[in-house]
Amino acid sequence: MIARLSDRQVGRAYATVRDRLGRTPYWSRVVVALAAIGAAVISWNDDYVTAVAVSVATYAMLGLGLNIVVGYAGLLDLGYAAFFAIGAYTSALLMTQAHWNFFTTLPFAVLFTGTAGAILGYPTLRLRSDYLAIVTLGFGEMTRITFNNWEYAGGPNGVLGIPWPNFFGYELNTQGDFFIVGLFLLAIAMIFAEHLDHSRLGRGWVAIREDEFAAESVGVPSLRLKLFAYVMGGMWGGLAGAFFATRIGAIDPTSFTFQLSVLILIVIVLGGTGSLPGVLVGALVVVALPELLRELSDVRLLVFAVLLVGMMLLRPQGLWPRIRRKPKPFYGLQEEEPEDVAARILREHQVQMEERDRRHAAAGHKVPAKGEVLLEVDGVVQQFGGLRAVDNVSFSVRRGEIFSIIGPNGGGKTTLFNCITGVQRPKRGRVLFDGRPIVGLRPHVIVARGIGRTFQGIRLFKNMAVFENVMVGLYARHRTMTWQAMLHTPGERKDELRTLQESRRWLSFVGLESMAGQLASQLSYADQRRVEIARALAAHPHLVLFDEPAAGMNPTEKLELVGIIRKIRDLGITVVLIEHDMSLVMRVSGRIAVLDHGILIALGKPAEIQNDPAVIEAYLGREDDDTDALTARGA
Amino acid sequence: MGDFLQYTVIGLTVGSFYALVALGYTIVYGIIRLINFAQGDLSMVGAFLGWTLLVSFGFEHLPVYLALVIAFVVPMIGTAIVNLGILQFAYKPLLRRSLLAILITALGMSLLLQNAAELIWGAAIEAYPPNLLPLSGFFVGPVHVTYVQIALVVASLLLMGGLVAFIQGTTIGTAMRALAVDHDAARLMGINVDAVIRIAFVLGAMLAAASGVMLGIYYVQIHFTMGFLLGLRAFTAAVLGGIGNIPGAMAGGMLIGLLEAYTTGYLSGTWEDVVVFGVLITVLIVKPTGLFGERVAERM
Repeated sequence: MIARLSDRQVGRAYATVRDRLGRTPYWSRVVVALAAIGAAVISWNDDYVTAVAVSVATYAMLGLGLNIVVGYAGLLDLGYAAFFAIGAYTSALLMTQAHWNFFTTLPFAVLFTGTAGAILGYPTLRLRSDYLAIVTLGFGEMTRITFNNWEYAGGPNGVLGIPWPNFFGYELNTQGDFFIVGLFLLAIAMIFAEHLDHSRLGRGWVAIREDEFAAESVGVPSLRLKLFAYVMGGMWGGLAGAFFATRIGAIDPTSFTFQLSVLILIVIVLGGTGSLPGVLVGALVVVALPELLRELSDVRLLVFAVLLVGMMLLRPQGLWPRIRRKPKPFYGLQEEEPEDVAARILREHQVQMEERDRRHAAAGHKVPAKGEVLLEVDGVVQQFGGLRAVDNVSFSVRRGEIFSIIGPNGGGKTTLFNCITGVQRPKRGRVLFDGRPIVGLRPHVIVARGIGRTFQGIRLFKNMAVFENVMVGLYARHRTMTWQAMLHTPGERKDELRTLQESRRWLSFVGLESMAGQLASQLSYADQRRVEIARALAAHPHLVLFDEPAAGMNPTEKLELVGIIRKIRDLGITVVLIEHDMSLVMRVSGRIAVLDHGILIALGKPAEIQNDPAVIEAYLGREDDDTDALTARGA
Repeated sequence: MGDFLQYTVIGLTVGSFYALVALGYTIVYGIIRLINFAQGDLSMVGAFLGWTLLVSFGFEHLPVYLALVIAFVVPMIGTAIVNLGILQFAYKPLLRRSLLAILITALGMSLLLQNAAELIWGAAIEAYPPNLLPLSGFFVGPVHVTYVQIALVVASLLLMGGLVAFIQGTTIGTAMRALAVDHDAARLMGINVDAVIRIAFVLGAMLAAASGVMLGIYYVQIHFTMGFLLGLRAFTAAVLGGIGNIPGAMAGGMLIGLLEAYTTGYLSGTWEDVVVFGVLITVLIVKPTGLFGERVAERM
């Protein structure tokens, strides 16, 4: 019977088991797994094994922290040992100089390293990732050298005589005791890390890692999130450092070298960046392998170097990779009828818009009514070297209309979008949205103001599931704080559930609900465009900018797209479209603007544009007998 | 004042080594936007190859000019082959993958070179023949300048001049400059992109090897970990001058050399790395394009 099960069936059964497991709270799984490991190690009753296990736990804690920075946010940190050092020194100095209890020093170790993360992160956030790697390396070395030169911290001798931890009068001084403390701290580190991973923060990080530009453009505050990653990563390192200090009893700068930073990096690369069980596997390999190969201790690092390069070349996803695909992402959510979904979307969107208008009015701004000016582009100039990509363009888009921008390739259409969405800052001119200037704001702020967009070349987060892509679009609308995410509080759970439900509705809105669990990269071109639309809509924008949404679609798909665009307008969302497909443009647009060589050459209703001699000339040249081509296509 | 000039002489000498390694970073980065972490370690490999020839093979007993030619040319070729191997085996398959993957691989290659060198040449400090070049020197006012210093600085300048002539004056150099601007356009113009990348790696490795041998001659002692700090300082130099910018790398190398000499002289040797890294971080934050310009902040 078993022999006749196909791979597919096995896969499905496995997926079901995983789904079931996935519904038990994460902390309970961590506790069970770590308790089992703990019981096994303790029943082995061998001090050497226990000591190795304590080291594995330490490396795993470090790996979890670095994983947040490298695995989630995709920022290569080559000086992670610095955080380990700062945590260790903080705890050690507080214990030896101020005679604090180990457990009292923990919050301070974590606080100090978090602060160190902010100090390192803040000025370096705008750097390219390869520069960042070097800067972190420098930071790590500077920290070590500073401790080495710092007399109060013992200079090269370090801090000696660090007391054992005291737990309500009971001194923890055996390997077994440390193992239990280590497991306890590791459990906390793992549970928090997992909670972060599944929160909006985790999604935001992965989105930044996948495509920082796209993430920022759909509402993720990328700089703030990167800073968070450093702070969080630093905190985990501090925890591990404090634990290391009390366990070893004496620390000195040689414990915190560049080599250690590299070893921690190897932990997460081996296990699989972004994967929490992978961190445990990686820590096990990095700590236990040298123990097993004692006689080869000379070539230990050589082996690791080969492993590192080999993994990158042959198995970049790691030994226990993180899987982002989810077969049934909406399992357990209340089912909704399609009509119901549409009604809910409409209702929800109206609530959002009304609330927004109310806030807007309360702040003393004029709220444009339907038909009044929503977006005003006023004399915008954008120049690249000697090329004027957008040359003194002015027009306004009225609330509730479908407005198209057409023109030959290189006409400056996408550049104009980039100027509106804050990707580029125009050299001159103003952009007013809702009567307020938006030039100079960062893209995610403009998203929060109510402008959504899609991209000409699709920019989905390819290695995230489709529904997660849409959830990233909902980033700005979450109402929970980071600490809530870490603790996975009921409020945060409700917020996540609401987000999930909403992402499902938007996917159903564009007709892709059945694809929700797939990776974005697995979808067809046309479907990817629709996911982008859903992602842009999820932020409940007032205005959406679609950059060539019909490119690469076949006639049927285009027809569906027309339906979707009209549905979007019916929600009360204003649509601005860049498109080359004239029949589509002529069919849906209320008004059309034509850009040629950066200059606005015509603006008007579709029929006017079709007969405008300047437009015909821009498209077809000066030959008079070709003029009917445009009108024929636009029929 | 005498001290200051003396430190300046030392700084310029050391700086010329950094400049050579920095040029390697800059050439490779300019063409494939990769920070070849192994650059400093290539220098170490060059130093050890030179040592093997001079000491183990006894070439130090040959006439000094012949010995020097062998001690420079053979390591340069050998290191170039090593770097080509790294390119072909490790970087090539990853060039189209994420920046993170390729950076981690580069780091792995650096580690690999160090530990392979430890395996081959051992963990002990080795010594170059101390009297290969005359140790004496002369005084310019209060400043003592040795013939070794002059010879090494002149050699570095010659190598740099050769590099500039190659890049500005030859067809291949023109192709390299084209590639630095736009890969696809260069390919469409019929440039063999892979071949040019290989040449960049060969040039980078040769400069690194030369600087390694010079370091050996100047400091006498060499060790398998010497490439790490050398690489970092040279990278700092490349960034200081604006990475991808060839004159910038040379000037950056000299500046870092001077900075290091002044720090050691006036402050203390224990702080020199803190100062160098401090400069690196400050430059990246305040003027990420370096002194001579190259855009590095990510476009948002």
